[in-house]
Formats: sequence, structure tokens, C-alpha cells
Amino acid sequence: MAGPYNGLRVVDTTGLAGAYATRLFAGLGAEVIRLEPPDGSPLRYLAPFAESIAPPENSLWWSYLAMGTRSVVIEPDNNDALAQILSSADVIFEDRLPEDSLISPDLVPDTTVRTSIVPFGLTGPKRSWKSSNLVAWAASGVLYATGFRDRAPVAPAGHVQLALHASAASALVGTLLALRARRKSGEGQQVEISIQEAALAIAPETGVPVFLDDRVHRERSGNRRDLGRPFGLYPCSDGFVSIIVLLPRHWTAMASWVAEATGNETITEEVFEDLGVRMETQDLIDTWVEELTVGQSRQELFQEGQRRGIPVTPVNTVNALLDDPHLKAAKFWSETQLPDGSSVAVPGAPFRTNADWWTMTAAPLLGQHTEFYLE
Amino acid sequence: MTNSAIELPLEGIRVFELGTAIASPFCGRLMAHYGADVLKIESKVSPDVVRILGSAWLRDRDDLAAAAPDTSPYVPEMNASKRSVGLELKTSAGRNAAMGLIAECDVFLANFGARALTELGLDYESVSAVNPKIVYVQLPGFGSDPDMPYYSYVAWGPNQAPLVGFDDFTGHASDPPAGIATVAPPDYMSALHAAVATLSGLEHRELTGDGVHVDVSQFETTLALLGPFVMDYDLSGTVHSRIGNRSLWGAPQGVYPCAGHERWIAISATDDESWDVLAALMELPDDHFNDPDQRLSQQEQLDSQIGTWTVDFDADDLAHRLQSVGVAAHVVSTNEDLLHDTHTMSRNWYQVAPHARLGRDVFSDCAVKLKGTPGRWTDAGPSLGQHTREVLRDVAGMSDEEISQLVTDKCAFEQLEPETLVPRPWDDWIHLLVPGTADARDL
Repeated sequence: MAGPYNGLRVVDTTGLAGAYATRLFAGLGAEVIRLEPPDGSPLRYLAPFAESIAPPENSLWWSYLAMGTRSVVIEPDNNDALAQILSSADVIFEDRLPEDSLISPDLVPDTTVRTSIVPFGLTGPKRSWKSSNLVAWAASGVLYATGFRDRAPVAPAGHVQLALHASAASALVGTLLALRARRKSGEGQQVEISIQEAALAIAPETGVPVFLDDRVHRERSGNRRDLGRPFGLYPCSDGFVSIIVLLPRHWTAMASWVAEATGNETITEEVFEDLGVRMETQDLIDTWVEELTVGQSRQELFQEGQRRGIPVTPVNTVNALLDDPHLKAAKFWSETQLPDGSSVAVPGAPFRTNADWWTMTAAPLLGQHTEFYLE
Repeated sequence: MTNSAIELPLEGIRVFELGTAIASPFCGRLMAHYGADVLKIESKVSPDVVRILGSAWLRDRDDLAAAAPDTSPYVPEMNASKRSVGLELKTSAGRNAAMGLIAECDVFLANFGARALTELGLDYESVSAVNPKIVYVQLPGFGSDPDMPYYSYVAWGPNQAPLVGFDDFTGHASDPPAGIATVAPPDYMSALHAAVATLSGLEHRELTGDGVHVDVSQFETTLALLGPFVMDYDLSGTVHSRIGNRSLWGAPQGVYPCAGHERWIAISATDDESWDVLAALMELPDDHFNDPDQRLSQQEQLDSQIGTWTVDFDADDLAHRLQSVGVAAHVVSTNEDLLHDTHTMSRNWYQVAPHARLGRDVFSDCAVKLKGTPGRWTDAGPSLGQHTREVLRDVAGMSDEEISQLVTDKCAFEQLEPETLVPRPWDDWIHLLVPGTADARDL
């Protein structure tokens, strides 16, 4: 069968805050129409760009996030065209407050689900504040607690835009729930995502209930974490590996590995089986573990650590991922075509099903579907 | 609190959840909030990590050991509004009881390792044999195909982030990778994808009458967020890596010091409009940075100039000033700042609900908000094993005698010492945190 949302019409007017949602929606079968202004969606102006292609078709953000969607250009004052498109929309995604929206409520049928993804929500003293991925992490407590102690705080995986993708994914969940409610009631409704709250929701570690409980002021602790030892990133011959040892069996395996590889018998002494003792002697433990890691590569440490049942993973860079043997064997990577006809690798379906749900097509050219929808 | 006349989107849906820590529990909680009856199957032999964490103020209270598994703040953050069923799945009677429940469920949700699920006889084939219409959603670290290279690898805690490249992307360009161990976006992103998969599965079942198997490999799911960087490498060989807080799209964007110890402000002024008002506020003597390309190519100088300006301001005051002229900015909030955030408070971001052990408890709301059919929080727990008897009786149709026998044989367990009640030390001032709950003690 085609995706479960085959036959559903979705109109997307958002930029980055909603794009990941409508990409998924399209993959699951929905007909997603991206309404673009004559000079194109803001997504079309985001680097990195494909060098061989001219704007506004060269943004890789657009080429990735707009996959599976259709592009309709509407002139700013063409209300008839807007009304025509909206009259058949099951869902509208927006990233503006109602007073700034281009879509007046009388154009939206009662049966339409209207999903708004806005920086600080539709209510509250900061409702008109602006945001960005960085600002969202700042307002969630995560930014303050990430990075090295003597350096300015840093956002987690900054340019990946995780806070915005979390907002988009949350918006899709809300939209699917609202469609389910519509089946029972026959009515559409407003779905609301505050980008600040989407970030807060995925970071209870730095949130108020946890703080009330332990009253520990969260500080940055660099790339090691004071929950255990070894715990965090350790240097190796071609970068870093991540080692997370909390469970007793993980420690036992770790200690024998270090002993076998470096001749350090002291590390296997019983006293270090106590997590408290390892925390008190953390500098020593880290030094011993580094004696093991510095001489080997990420892949060597990954394979051998995992063989021993220890949660060791490489700190991968993008190039290593495209060569990763598991992803290759699982045929995870897919391809899309850019406007100049070249093929490029992209992530495949985000999950797998025994039913045939996922379909994808290349991102549309600016206005590629205008005629189809407006003539 | 709840308008019972409104039918919630997931009312009538029952979920069998085998979850630990975040990825599956966070998805289950979302479903419970929107009306699903989520049965959290728990073990005392190998408990969910949130049951082991306990609570800081309870650490030396041996007299309250029975209450300890209920007191971690992560219990409601991941499990509010679910029912807790104590079943030892490694015993055959416990597993049989679980199968009795599965037969009555619409959704099977699990983030146990794929191999562990198979060993328990709870892989898709076994479960769908009992309930062919089940929407089966699993979230293993590396997928459920035993022929794949990392199938048996340990996906433990925050080690998915380094693997997918997030850790390398985190930190200032001149520093070693800072990593993101403080939080676990891959877990939560997997949970949100699992929610999409579950709702899609229910839709699929409505349309076709069939169940479905969804395999959310957390490795692959998280990689789906890296599209543009994968493409750029494939096209041009560019290996993107960490760039601190800067943006590829314009400058300035960064975190700048403010007055006081460890006070910072985050500012994004990457477009011309924002820059113009920021420059006016800063009263820059020349128009050197009016050109966006200059701003991008001379970020070091630009950032240092902004930092020199911000350092005398109170961070919160400056954020208000910047936002009032249309520049995206926010104080880099500490825990203390979040406790006093009047905006989140005005939106009731922290919620309170009754709790069988603590009386009541506070936890974060759901970021997904539906105006017409708002979700509800029925329980800030659940307490470990609180609903074993009622669920086995009402859902699986077991008799009280059969249930007692299961408990005696240690194949199931009920809530320990239900008479041991212990409010949190800060229970008396919950109303300061959650507006409108001054009289909520009789919730």
C-alpha cells in the first residue's frame, strides 16, 4: 500500500521550524504543498549550497527537507489563489503568530487542522519574542550546561538545528493526533508548538523538577560527565571515542581490557569496582584509560570495546558515517536528484515497516506545481 | 482540570509498553496524555533506570526504601498518566500474563534491545501470533535485523550522540569536541518518531484492518536529521564539524558575557534587519559591518566587539531590550532562571497531578498542545506496581486468586507498602511554582 496518509492534503507555509514535519508527512503519503513567495521559501537561502547549481535551487537544506513536497508560488496579494489552495487543505502548517499570518481565519475551513510552530507559544509575556535554534537552547537550560567549564556555553550540535527539528517532529505528532480527533468530531482545531517548550521537553535533565529534587546547580563539565568513570570522550589515534561505564559488568570488562592492552594490573584491583572510588580517583582512571585509547583508532576501539560488551562508540564525523559498515549493510543511505541531474546521497527512511509506507521524490523547483494547482 | 465531555484522540487505545529510561517511555507518556491507557510493564529484577535513580532527599532514609523507586523526578517526566504493572517476563507465568494483556492491546511499544525482546519471546512474530492487529513499534539501538553488523552492540545511555556525529558537531572550532552528554536528543527524537510511527500504524490499521511492524533503529532515525551535511560531503567532500554557536547563514550569532558571574546572553542577529537594530543599539562608530559578507568573514572581531558591549548589561535586561527591537535573544538560563521564568509559568509549563505515594507531584507539561482536545494528566506517578492487580483483573480477565498466586510465585508484584506516604520536602510551596494550585492539596 502507499503511505497511511495518502489522500491527505497538507499546506506548508513554514521555514525551518516546520520543514522536518512536512518532509516526514510527505514520506508517509500526504500530498504536501509548499506555498512559496515569488522569491522562494527562506529555506532556499540556507547554506550549504550545491556549487554547480544557481539560486534559488542550490540550498541543500531545501533539497533535503522539501523532498516529496510540491511548490506553489502565490503572489503576495493574490487572495483568490490562496483561498483556492486553502479551501481543500486538511492541514496547514504555519510559523507565525495569528496577527502576522498571511492566512486570515475566514479562508480556513472548520475541518482544517491548523498547526502553529512559534518561538514562545501563542500566549504569555514572551509570545512575540523571536527565536532561533541557539536562542531556544538558551531558554531551555541546556545551553548553559553544555561545553567546557572555562569556555562560553555551546549549543548541542549547533548547526544541525536540533531544537527546530524537535519542534517540527512535535508538530507532526500534534497534527496526527488532531486528525485522529477529527475523525471522531468532524472538526479541525488549532495545534500549538512553542519552540522553547519543545526544547524544554527534551531536556528534563536541566529542568525545574530535577533541580528541585537535587538542588544541584548544573555546570558545564566539558566532554566528561561526573556520573561515572570512564564516562565521556577519550582521545584516540584518529579522533575521539565515547566510553560510558556505569554498570558493574561494564567496569569489569573495561578494567581487564586496559590491563591486557597496557599491562596495568592495578586497574583490576577490587577497590576500583566501587563507583565512588573511581569518582574520587577520576584523574587516575582517565589517565589509565587514555593509555589504552591513544594508540588505537576509533574503529579498532569501537569493535573491540563492543566485542567485550562495553558501550564504546566512535565520535563520528560525517565522512565516517557514509562509510559505516552497518549503514551500508542495512542499505540505509538513499539518493536524490538535484536540479542539474546529479545524484547525491541522503538519509533513507527514518524507520522501517513491514508495510510499504515510505516514498520520496526530489525537492520541487520554485513554482514547479503552481500551474497544476492554480489553473 | 479536564473536560470529560471531550473525547481525547487516543481514548479507547491501549498500549503495552516495555520501556526503560527515555526513548519508549517518553513516547508512551505522550500517548497517555492524549487519552491512551498505557500499561507500563515493570520488573523488580531488572528495573527501569528511573526506578533506580531515586531521589536526592531520600538517599539516607532506609525507613523509606519502599518508596524510593517512586521518587525520582524522572518517573513522572517519562511516565506520568500511565498504569504500572509489575510482571517478571522471564518467568513463564509472568510471560503468560503479559500475553493475556497483549491480546487486549492495540499497540506494543518497546525500547528493549532487539535481542532481549527475542529472548523474551516478544519479537514481532510472537506478539502478532497472539494479536495480529497489533501496531508493534520497537526502538532498538541498531534495528531488529540480526544479520546487520551492529545488531548485538550495546546502545547504552548517551552513546548514540557521538555515533551519529552530534558530539563532533558540539563545541568551539578550536577546542576538542565538547559532546552533548548533558542531554540526549537522539533518545527524544527517536521517541517523537516512534509517536509518529504509532499514530501512522493506527491509521494503517483503520484503513487496512491489519497490524504493522515498525522498526525504529535509533541510529538511523537520528541520522535522518543530518541530511544537508551528508549531501555536502557526498557532493564536495566537505566534512562539516563544530563551529561553536556560530551560524552558516550569517553573523553575528553567539553567546556573550554579561554582568555578574557566569551570566551570558544568546543572540541571533544573522539577517540584515536584526543586525541594523543591534548595531544601532550598540552605537557602533562606523558602518564597517553593514556588509553581511564582512560580518561573516570577520566574526572573531565582530564577536569580540559585541562581547565588550554586552558585558556591562544585566543579561535578562539586555534580552528584553533586544527583543523589544526585534532581535532574537535570551538569557542563557540556569536552573535558577528556569525556576523563576515568568513566561513558562504563565503557560503552566509545570503541571501538578495526584501521586499515590507523594500525594502530588510536579512535572513538565507536554510540548504538543491541542486546543480542541487538550490532553490531561491523571497521575504524577505511577507508583511501582500500583496497578498490577486492577490491570490483570480488568484487562487480562484474571481472578484475584490467580493474581495472588502470581505474586506469591514472584512472577508478578504489587506496590510495596502502600501505607508508606511521603510528601516531597518542597510540597508546601508547590503553589509558588504552579499558579492556581494553592488549594490543590485535595486533588
